[in-house]
Amino acid sequence: MKDIYELLNDLDIDEHEAVEMEVDELEKAKVKRALKESIIQKRKRRSWRKPVAAAVMVVGLSAATLGLTFPAYAVSLPVIGNIFKFLDVGKVGVYDHYQEYSTEMNLTAESNGIKVIINNAIFDGETVAITYSLETNQDLGESPYLRGLLDMKGSIGGAGGSKITKVDSNRYVGLITETGFFKNEKPDTVKMNWQIEGMVVQENQKEIKGKWSFVFALEATEADTRVVGQSSELDGVTVQIGELSVTPMSFIVHYDQLVSEEIRNKWHGVDVDIEVKDDLGNLYSGKGNGGTGDNKGYHTSWSKTFERLDPNAAKLILTPHIRLYEYTSENFGSAEETKDGPKSAAILEKSGKGQEQFTMEDMVIDLGNLK
Amino acid sequence: MKSNDANYIQRLQRKKEDALEYIVDQYLPLMKGITFKVLSPLGNDGIIEECINDIFLSIWEHAHKFAGDSTDFRKWICAIAKFRAVDYYRKHNKLTNLLSQEQEIGTGESAEDELIRMEDRSELIKLIHLLEPVDRDIFIMKFFLGFKTGDIAAKLGLTKASIDNRIYRGKKKLNDKATNLNFGGSML
Repeated sequence: MKDIYELLNDLDIDEHEAVEMEVDELEKAKVKRALKESIIQKRKRRSWRKPVAAAVMVVGLSAATLGLTFPAYAVSLPVIGNIFKFLDVGKVGVYDHYQEYSTEMNLTAESNGIKVIINNAIFDGETVAITYSLETNQDLGESPYLRGLLDMKGSIGGAGGSKITKVDSNRYVGLITETGFFKNEKPDTVKMNWQIEGMVVQENQKEIKGKWSFVFALEATEADTRVVGQSSELDGVTVQIGELSVTPMSFIVHYDQLVSEEIRNKWHGVDVDIEVKDDLGNLYSGKGNGGTGDNKGYHTSWSKTFERLDPNAAKLILTPHIRLYEYTSENFGSAEETKDGPKSAAILEKSGKGQEQFTMEDMVIDLGNLK
Repeated sequence: MKSNDANYIQRLQRKKEDALEYIVDQYLPLMKGITFKVLSPLGNDGIIEECINDIFLSIWEHAHKFAGDSTDFRKWICAIAKFRAVDYYRKHNKLTNLLSQEQEIGTGESAEDELIRMEDRSELIKLIHLLEPVDRDIFIMKFFLGFKTGDIAAKLGLTKASIDNRIYRGKKKLNDKATNLNFGGSML
């Protein structure tokens, strides 16, 4: 007699109306992982069915075998090789080529039953990007928050981002970035110090305290840097392209914004974002690294990292987008650190309301002599 | 050796895990589409996820029962996906049973309706073997894959009335057999 699977095999029905749904790499990895675990569990269960007498006799031996089989088990699970790409959920593409130029670290720290492993790290001369994995015996929710400080030694401040995602019930992978701001020249080698003091489960705000600490140095990837020095001005906002730095896996645009007295009196805040295309029609996706400037934010130095430059591109076309906006209690909070302790800053009334946006004329950088 | 378009079915049947990964890469969007269509009314993404894993695991465990080329394989796994998803739907939606959404003319709740709801459907499968091949297909589509009568009619090129009629007669036949075989209290 046939079972349902054989009956379904005989059944000749066309599922042409079945609609495919979009699936990303994360979903595929999750399904694969769940399947492997089920298969392994089934095998283990099967092996338990062996005669009890034999099992009793080899108790001593099986303890040793367990110790031996566990590492093999860990290796046989599909490991996420390229976390940079894996976590690029929105398919932005900025990190597409980071893995191949990054350094394999394999640093491990364990505390409270949770193991943190730094997999890869890279310093592009501007930003340090670190991929890591968590192996945990307890559930940390979908996206735990790692409380602690990632410090770049010698920097006077920094800006960064972080992303973490659950791979299966006891594994997470994450990416953390840190852009350091320096008073003088940026160093070629940075000393990183990452101290994690706790992991907060976002769903219930429960914190698992512990101490995971990492100290390591990273050398900047080889970069071809040139001073551009072009600028563009419109309606009281000047954008100056300072440097263009090309690394094997990315390029970084450094730019300054200067805001006139008039605009300064009207608007609380001014932001400049840069869009980059090349003469071949490629539009480069990028990720802002934050910026530093005076405490009123009118003269700010920014940098933005873009995906790998097309080697055939001869020109880069930069389009600055300007946003003028009003500070409101929702988008602004400020505190000033003074000798007498922190002092919160009040929002001054200004005539510019809501926000205004405009685009400046393109600036073209000739890449000819870069290569 | 890696799985590819030409060898993945064979490798799957030989229990090579890379073949399982291959079919996840190839067919996850399709499996997700089918599962989502059936299970999205439940409004529970966890169930959908669990069901998708279950579908692939069923394919893995029963791969040796499959015969055919890759077009047949696609049809087969679509049928499995539908079967598993409908199964999940029924389990998680006991209140509004899929079967009662479309009441058959002249037949009320019958023995097979009860049978269908039993976790173990091996008895129903036994009974299905007693039917003519066309009726067998109709019953599988109707009770395992949750097809509406109209869809079955369209697929088999028969009228809706004739499908209804075949289901009615088939049910009667199964009912008699089931009574004769005396499956006992679970059907009452």
